[in-house]
Amino acid sequence: MMKLLRFVFPGVFAVAMVFHAWVAGSSARTVRVDYRLFTGLGNMDGHWNALTVARDGKVYIGLAHHGAGGHAVYYDPSKDRMVDLGNLNKLCGQACMRIGPQSKVHAKFGEAKDGKIYFATHAGLWWNFARFATVEGYPGGHWLVYDPRSGETEDLGIGARYEGIITAAYDPVYNRMYGLNYPRGHFIYYDIATGQTHDMGRVNNWDSLCRTIGIDGQGNVYGTFGKGQIYKYDPRTDKLTNLPLFIPIRKKGISLGRDYNKSETAWREVVWDKQKKVFYGIDESAGYLFSFDPHAGKYGVVKKLGQLAIPSMADGRGVPYASLALTLGNDDKLYYAAPAQEFDFSGSKGVAASHLLVFNLKTDQMQDLGEMRVADGRGLMGAESAATAQDGTIYFVGAMEAKPEPGKPFVYGGKIGSIPYRLALFIYHPEAK
Amino acid sequence: MLAKHSLWVAVLIMGSAAAGLAQRSLDYDHVVVPQDRIDARALGYPPLDVIPDGESGITSLAVAPDGDIYGATSGARSHLFVLSPIHGFVQPLGYLPDTKNVTHAVVISAEGDVYIGSGTSGHLLKYTPSNPYHEQIGTHDDKAVPVKDLGQAVEGQGIFALAIDRNAGFIYGLSSPGTHFFSYSISTGKFSDWGVVCPRVPKGEKFETDNIMSRMLALDVKGNVYVSGEDGYLFKFDKAAQKLEKLKVQAPAIPGREPWTRVDAFMTDVVSGLIYGGTSDGYLFQFDPASQKVVNLGKPLIQYDIAGLVPGPAGKIYGVGGTAQGMARLFSYRPATGAYEELGFIDVNRRPYYTWQAYVIGAVAVGHRGTIYIGENERISKLYLFYPWE
Repeated sequence: MMKLLRFVFPGVFAVAMVFHAWVAGSSARTVRVDYRLFTGLGNMDGHWNALTVARDGKVYIGLAHHGAGGHAVYYDPSKDRMVDLGNLNKLCGQACMRIGPQSKVHAKFGEAKDGKIYFATHAGLWWNFARFATVEGYPGGHWLVYDPRSGETEDLGIGARYEGIITAAYDPVYNRMYGLNYPRGHFIYYDIATGQTHDMGRVNNWDSLCRTIGIDGQGNVYGTFGKGQIYKYDPRTDKLTNLPLFIPIRKKGISLGRDYNKSETAWREVVWDKQKKVFYGIDESAGYLFSFDPHAGKYGVVKKLGQLAIPSMADGRGVPYASLALTLGNDDKLYYAAPAQEFDFSGSKGVAASHLLVFNLKTDQMQDLGEMRVADGRGLMGAESAATAQDGTIYFVGAMEAKPEPGKPFVYGGKIGSIPYRLALFIYHPEAK
Repeated sequence: MLAKHSLWVAVLIMGSAAAGLAQRSLDYDHVVVPQDRIDARALGYPPLDVIPDGESGITSLAVAPDGDIYGATSGARSHLFVLSPIHGFVQPLGYLPDTKNVTHAVVISAEGDVYIGSGTSGHLLKYTPSNPYHEQIGTHDDKAVPVKDLGQAVEGQGIFALAIDRNAGFIYGLSSPGTHFFSYSISTGKFSDWGVVCPRVPKGEKFETDNIMSRMLALDVKGNVYVSGEDGYLFKFDKAAQKLEKLKVQAPAIPGREPWTRVDAFMTDVVSGLIYGGTSDGYLFQFDPASQKVVNLGKPLIQYDIAGLVPGPAGKIYGVGGTAQGMARLFSYRPATGAYEELGFIDVNRRPYYTWQAYVIGAVAVGHRGTIYIGENERISKLYLFYPWE
């Protein structure tokens, strides 16, 4: 039977084995991670990229809630306390308006020199765009700022009318928030000094909508478009330029059965190395790791460094879609929560524990530390963000199996297969491994 | 035990995967134009030899007597391009000097000369084709279109829109911001200014500073010219009397919105002699030049703006609607029955080769073989080819 299954349905066989491992308990190598739940927010159902560690150690997190208001929270490790900054609908001044909800923070928070935390909101559901630009539809993503000293959050207005802000990044040099709107893929930025939003026009189509904006130490902004090509925005000239540079991507022509709006030719995540002044990034489709030195040569230099994929899956057709959970540690190593299954919260195609992959930039060697599991054995079902604290702690936000608690209503964000999940902040201390 | 367990899991997963593995769901494909009816062209030879991003918004399309499709773009610089339906690809011809926008302002004479109205300089430019397909397509960074400058139509004004009476050899236009109606005689090379169609900026927010006029001009079968001006009123240039007059009819508008109403698109049905128009409020209307009556045909879409109207097979009219902040949709109208059909978003999905969705449309034209050309007007723009049906 096993031979028959393996021979006739190799892909399904592999998935079945992974699922079996999940439900039966894994004998694979594991790496222990700690976790914190978002108390009172058990129904939050997704999270993408919205994780930033501020200089004071506070960890800012955006939690998505499709069809309703998402939440912005922070975790204070010094007090081991999770604080809810509020429902995004309320923060955006549309709490009772019965219009398209502010369901997500879909990008990194940005910390300004004065310690204020800037972020942007995004929609959750699009109804095949049937309600786009209609009265009941989504009014548009807002720019917001949270002041840790006063504890107040200020709405800075709509940055993209009718559209979400799917990607954002803060630049301390020019004191701006950059973003991409969705669905149209325009490059926009909010100038904090003037309070003005600028729309530089379209850079992406759905098939290549770049989910991360990279900013170098000089305030230049980078993203990808088309078949992995890099564009640059120069704030000095206020111009976008298409660079003759391409990241490594998997060639088109392999049917991967993914959603149409899952880009397969963009970089998924990039991180800026302040010391070496290079970006490290991962492509979406195959998890190719690359470096991008924007100041080398005439236009910059891209180098392929390897593949951030679970070794048994690397180079295979079924290597899962890359996650956004990539961060540069303080030890010259990249930390990446690699999905062991196509993961997208309730849109996942199966259940499997993510692996923690560590890429040593000194040796160019990758190490698979194993399945990421908490003390009671539950696995991290998938993460979509990562960030590094000044003390070296690595944070991830993702999904874990939800467990009912006696005497309390069972609240969870959604289900992956038949397994209910809820969101959690995962904590990894590299020195403690 | 493991085998038995895994088999059941496999069957379970196969069942659930069947629904989730589609690259794009039929639910979504239902909202876009049928994919066997639409295709797209890059503006040149991608990835390098194309009209650059930021300069590629298609804002003018026109069909030459020989069937070639000419287009002009707006952006940091305007470019001229041509598509021969025989070749089927877009040939960039170079940038237009001192020009950043060309809005519904490309017309082609009976001799095949291409006239371009610069929205920036207000000059009328003339390009005489000379077999451009024998030329190598370069990036055209330094190549200007070889044009003859025919002068400025109205002093201090840009050219907002053009139309041509090929038989008479006259080009008509509107200027911006002053809304002057002007003409140009091809034979004499003389411009004439016939007056203003919207002398005042309508009351509105402080950022609303435009005098409101139609985005296009229409010619009836006798060669009279129509535009819209103040309060949505139609204006007629009487060819015989050589006079511009304000008619007593207005383009349809939501009551109270007349001051901000303009005709976005005109189309003349040469068979019936009727002129069809689409307004900024998203209404389609019919105007009979003989009786000078307007019939409001309702709204094909819930959106504002109608970017273009063209005749299709069996008397149908095809159009594109939607604002610059929305998502453009294609529709058709059958005058015989008064029926609309919504055809969906303008999107081409040719995975794994290319995919592109247009959100903003700047110009529409119909070729001699019935293909409808739809020009996208965004920082990165494509030319769409839509094949209509009866």
